[in-house]
Amino acid sequence: MSSVLVPEIPAPGFSFDLCQRNNFLVKKGFQAPKAVKTGTTIAGVVYKDGVVLGGDTRSTENTIVADKNCSKIHYLTENIYCCGAGTAADTEMTTMISSQLELHHLNTNRIVPVCTANAMIKQLLFRYQGNIGAALILGGVDLDGPHLYCIYPHGSSDRHLYTSMGTGSLAAMAVFESRWKPDMTEEEAKELVADAIRAGVFNDLASGSNVDLCVIRKGSVDYLRPYDIANVKGQRNISYRYKRGTTAVLNKIVHPIIIEGETVRRLETEPMDTSS
Amino acid sequence: MAYMVDNLVQPNISSVASNLGPDWLSSEQSTGTSIMACEFDGGVVIGADSRATTGAYISNRFADKLTKITDYIYCCRSGSAADTQAISDIVAYHLSLHKMELGMEPLVETAANVFRELCYNYRDSLMAGILVAGWDSRKGGQVYSIPLGGMCVRQPISIGGSGSTYVYGYMDSQYKPNMSRDECVKLVENTLALAMSRDGSSGGVIRIGVITEKGAERKVILGNELPQFYEG
Amino acid sequence: MALLSENLRRSLPDYKTQATKMKSFSPYADNGGSVIALAGDDFCVIAADTRLSTGFSIYTREQQKLFPLSSKTILGCSGCWCDTLTLTRLLIARMQMYEHEHQKEMPTLAVAQMLSTMLYYKRFFPYYVSNILGGLDEDGKGCVYSYDPIGHCEVTKYRAGGSAGALLQPLLDNQIGYKNQEGVEPVPLTQEKAVAIIKDVFTSAAERDIYTGDSINIKIITKDGVQDSTFELRKD
Repeated sequence: MSSVLVPEIPAPGFSFDLCQRNNFLVKKGFQAPKAVKTGTTIAGVVYKDGVVLGGDTRSTENTIVADKNCSKIHYLTENIYCCGAGTAADTEMTTMISSQLELHHLNTNRIVPVCTANAMIKQLLFRYQGNIGAALILGGVDLDGPHLYCIYPHGSSDRHLYTSMGTGSLAAMAVFESRWKPDMTEEEAKELVADAIRAGVFNDLASGSNVDLCVIRKGSVDYLRPYDIANVKGQRNISYRYKRGTTAVLNKIVHPIIIEGETVRRLETEPMDTSS
Repeated sequence: MAYMVDNLVQPNISSVASNLGPDWLSSEQSTGTSIMACEFDGGVVIGADSRATTGAYISNRFADKLTKITDYIYCCRSGSAADTQAISDIVAYHLSLHKMELGMEPLVETAANVFRELCYNYRDSLMAGILVAGWDSRKGGQVYSIPLGGMCVRQPISIGGSGSTYVYGYMDSQYKPNMSRDECVKLVENTLALAMSRDGSSGGVIRIGVITEKGAERKVILGNELPQFYEG
Repeated sequence: MALLSENLRRSLPDYKTQATKMKSFSPYADNGGSVIALAGDDFCVIAADTRLSTGFSIYTREQQKLFPLSSKTILGCSGCWCDTLTLTRLLIARMQMYEHEHQKEMPTLAVAQMLSTMLYYKRFFPYYVSNILGGLDEDGKGCVYSYDPIGHCEVTKYRAGGSAGALLQPLLDNQIGYKNQEGVEPVPLTQEKAVAIIKDVFTSAAERDIYTGDSINIKIITKDGVQDSTFELRKD
């Protein structure tokens, strides 16, 4: 099937084609580029009748902010969402489990259990032995009620009632350990998670910008983005508009479009073939 | 031009960002652990602390290291959290299949040998020290220890994990053959409490399980209810 | 268990924790921070942010990084804070010695030269500090001196340094140096514009550089003395 015009569909999974070449280059002194790490604060709490997930919105490349308003709470299914910390590309990759969960949902015609999502993700991560650098907080509500899981890059997972991950996890956990209590109301839980994320935003340099929240209840979800704009961008004092002609024009070539002829072709609409 | 010299003088400065994060960011989650299992006539007692760490950070202070394999077989996990969770998931899968084919509860010895098979075959890439404990109708309560290299040995009493090194002496001195159920529970409690107080990577609460003919019974001893010993 | 301790391909001895391990010791720390100095005809504005940080955490949100050396000279430092402290302590001592010896303040040009010498003195174990010196010269005109860590000195009219130096400098090049602008008549820099530009570039740098933020401290040096003001930046 391979031809110049029809490219072959690559085999599923990762391609390791260039590993050998890259190792050779590294040995020769080439510095491999680093992946974007989302130095992050993500957190989650189980409350009376659901789960609240939260995340900041900064992603960094070393000491430079790469994205000031990125979304770290990912959709998995209607009743399950997932916060990601770690290597940005890997956290998004993991949410591709979403399509498998949707198939599972269609096959079984039942609400997808959160433990199914947990098992699928941890098995995927374990297969790659920590090379997929995704640290996740998985939250959702199923027939057994609300669930919250914390999944590590190497493929281990724990069940929690409140948890945090990422570089700001210590700041967020400090808030949880002092203020968490069982059976909170939705408002209390939202404010607690938002405060935990804010602790990360202000005290961890790799976390910043806004606070996103996602509230999952039985049968409904509130995706609040942004929930709180923790940091307002400063106003400029003077205008930086340039006068017309400020950009230097080095040279100018004009190519006139020559019209060689004109034809009109009419397209007939055909009815859709519904015979079979 | 001037700054070109900069990197020559301080090659370590240019890469400040590469070691920005503390160790808990890159470390694998592990259960630096104290685990224990003890046979008595008619069942086994299992116990574990509840601390899971990534580097120096306690990532979970109420972890459950007593993992159910079947209704009558549990395992105590130590080592890498990812490895031990994956192994116990796989063994649980195999045994539930085996149970359906067999039409009866799998033997503890079988479970231990499935564990051993995995731990031995993948001994180069796994970091797992597991105690398999349970009850079956043939041999009653049994404890099998499967340490790092993938060996499997039945022991009447066994401890494992990083905290175990502190309490081998205590265990040896206190163990008597044919102890009753309550004596076993007390011994497990005391041994684990001693291990947790000395080992930095063990701590939290003590989780205890007793598996008998009637199934598994579990309890938790909270941090403020732990047996107290000399702390010098 | 003992016979298994020497290991395996993954070289993990049994139950080793990563808790207490020292990889290597570096005598330097990077505490971040950015400094800007702009010189006008009869004034000099120097500003620095007030965040002191390391790795991913903040030590303090209100650290002064501007050091008045004389009534007409101010030094702005960023980089390794312990080196900054040592360097400025020695500098201030040398300033005092000069004053006692010569019965007058050291002029800015001399301070600039002395700083260069002091930095080069530590050529093979340098102070890891990015220095920018702003002041008025002996004719009362504004001047800016910028340094690399081992003592190279350059006189300019505007300079940005520190962790966000690379983000700030191009803006100054364009707005103050009129670089890459065609047919625009340079107008002399006013104090108001200098301060406004400093606030704006710091606001922008705080958006993208994690080591710059919290607030900035601005000092305007004129023949009448030094005017001090602060300006808030984002805190995340």
